Amino acid sequence: MNVIEIHHLTKNYGKSRGITDVSLSVAEGEIFGFIGPNGSGKSTTIRTLLGLIHPASGTAAIFGKSCFEHPEIRQQLGYLPSEVFYYENMRVLDLLNYSASFYKKDCSKRIRELAAVMNLDLTKKISDLSYGNKKKVGIVQGLLHEPKLIILDEPTGGLDPLMQQKFFELIREEKRKGATVFFSSHILSEVQKLCDRVAFIKEGRILRQEKMSDLQENTYKRISIELNQETRPEIFQLEGISDLQIKNKMVKFIFKGNINQVTAMIAELDLRNLTIGEPDLEEIFLHYYEKEG
Amino acid sequence: MNIYLHELRSLRKSVLIWTLVLIGLAALYLSIYPSIVHDADGYRKLLATYPPAVRAALGINLNTILSINGYYGMIFSFVTLCGTIQAMNLGLSVLSRESRERTADFLLVKPVARRSIVSAKWLAGLTALLVTDLVYYGVLLLLVDWVKKSNYDGEIFLLINLTLLFLQMIFFALGLLISVFFNKLKSVLPLSLGTVIGWYMIGALLASGKESDTVRYFSPFNFFPPSEIIQHAGYQGHYLTLTLCFVVLALAISYLVYSKKDIHSVS
Repeated sequence: MNVIEIHHLTKNYGKSRGITDVSLSVAEGEIFGFIGPNGSGKSTTIRTLLGLIHPASGTAAIFGKSCFEHPEIRQQLGYLPSEVFYYENMRVLDLLNYSASFYKKDCSKRIRELAAVMNLDLTKKISDLSYGNKKKVGIVQGLLHEPKLIILDEPTGGLDPLMQQKFFELIREEKRKGATVFFSSHILSEVQKLCDRVAFIKEGRILRQEKMSDLQENTYKRISIELNQETRPEIFQLEGISDLQIKNKMVKFIFKGNINQVTAMIAELDLRNLTIGEPDLEEIFLHYYEKEG
Repeated sequence: MNIYLHELRSLRKSVLIWTLVLIGLAALYLSIYPSIVHDADGYRKLLATYPPAVRAALGINLNTILSINGYYGMIFSFVTLCGTIQAMNLGLSVLSRESRERTADFLLVKPVARRSIVSAKWLAGLTALLVTDLVYYGVLLLLVDWVKKSNYDGEIFLLINLTLLFLQMIFFALGLLISVFFNKLKSVLPLSLGTVIGWYMIGALLASGKESDTVRYFSPFNFFPPSEIIQHAGYQGHYLTLTLCFVVLALAISYLVYSKKDIHSVS
């Protein structure tokens, strides 16, 4: 059964922002990554799915129902927005209890558990919290009713690396319990760690959908090499190399494919320095998906 | 029910303040009532020198001004002014605060229909107005009892005070109606002050004009003038109907627009 079904969804507002003919589906129990640069239409897609924005055409449904016509379907939904804002003069516990009061179950135990894991002080006022701590409130708020579908819109911003790890662990645990997760991000590596399947969106259109296992064979690396002597471009004619820049003894390129191939090639060179990093999404889009898609 | 209670809790402070303002206003004017009655003739002569248009605008009737109901009818226009500002404020802010405080992403993804949210918030606002008016009326009775020189018609006194609620309902609904057309209403008070005071002034001017009967329909402040209530011991039915129709219509449009509205992200 598909938990999320989006068919030919289109929404335009403003000049260039919006989404065009977005279709995707997420199966039960899956962690689905939704990845694209900022302003590519991720949030618009999610907000339409949640019933916050009305589509111009097309349909978006969770558990087979539209959130507009069947708001009660959101009993099964947990949502964490990219930026979290709550009633400033409430205490954390009061806010969480208010949130829990919308769901037909007793959430008090789960609130305590989650707060303990996330190291969140329940007695503080919302207005006294730092951004990172507000984000934690958001996480607890999104998960306290043990939803069957968790929608995360750029959830990791503002969380320190340790908390990110704890958060990812929480998400994996929810998946083990059978939850479906829809995870939007502009950081490829964090999606790679977590997701089963991923869709790429750019300028409001889905470029492609891939299984993570396929994508993982193709790791993307930005490689910079400093050599001891000048070199010729012919050496770097390996398949999967793009954006090749050679300037005196400096060589820079992006590599997609089996990393062993490129290390074998580099091993034969006389190096002064070597850095291997993550290319950002823009670069990947620019040099692979634009051409292929 | 949970939204209703949550809203009530957040309205507590404002209800308290507005109630105190209304009581303070009435107390201030009632405190000089005994001395006015003491010098009744002088006061009547003074008021007679006002041009008739000004007297009409202020709702002063020379024959009744010195009875409790007549005197209260005059100061009541200031009370309604305050009360309607409260109501308009409430109407403008009760739905729009979710966008202003950027909590719409919290509330509107909960498993409740948008119309239930409007209902809960409207009921919470109505409760706040009722509490304000009831407490005000209770204290007012004590105050009047204290300053009165002779007996007065309690029924008419109640009828006059009841119109505060009618006017508040109108401006509460109006505020709600205006607020749903804004994506993000940044500041509420200037808008409500401007609308209410502007309309109040227009109403006062209209009351003194020649065509005062036809234009009266456009000024809620002239729907239920105390002088008329004292005269007829009741309201004019078609203004009650008009009030009801406006409130129902404004609410219906608010429900419709709010349900169809796109809630955009905060950034």
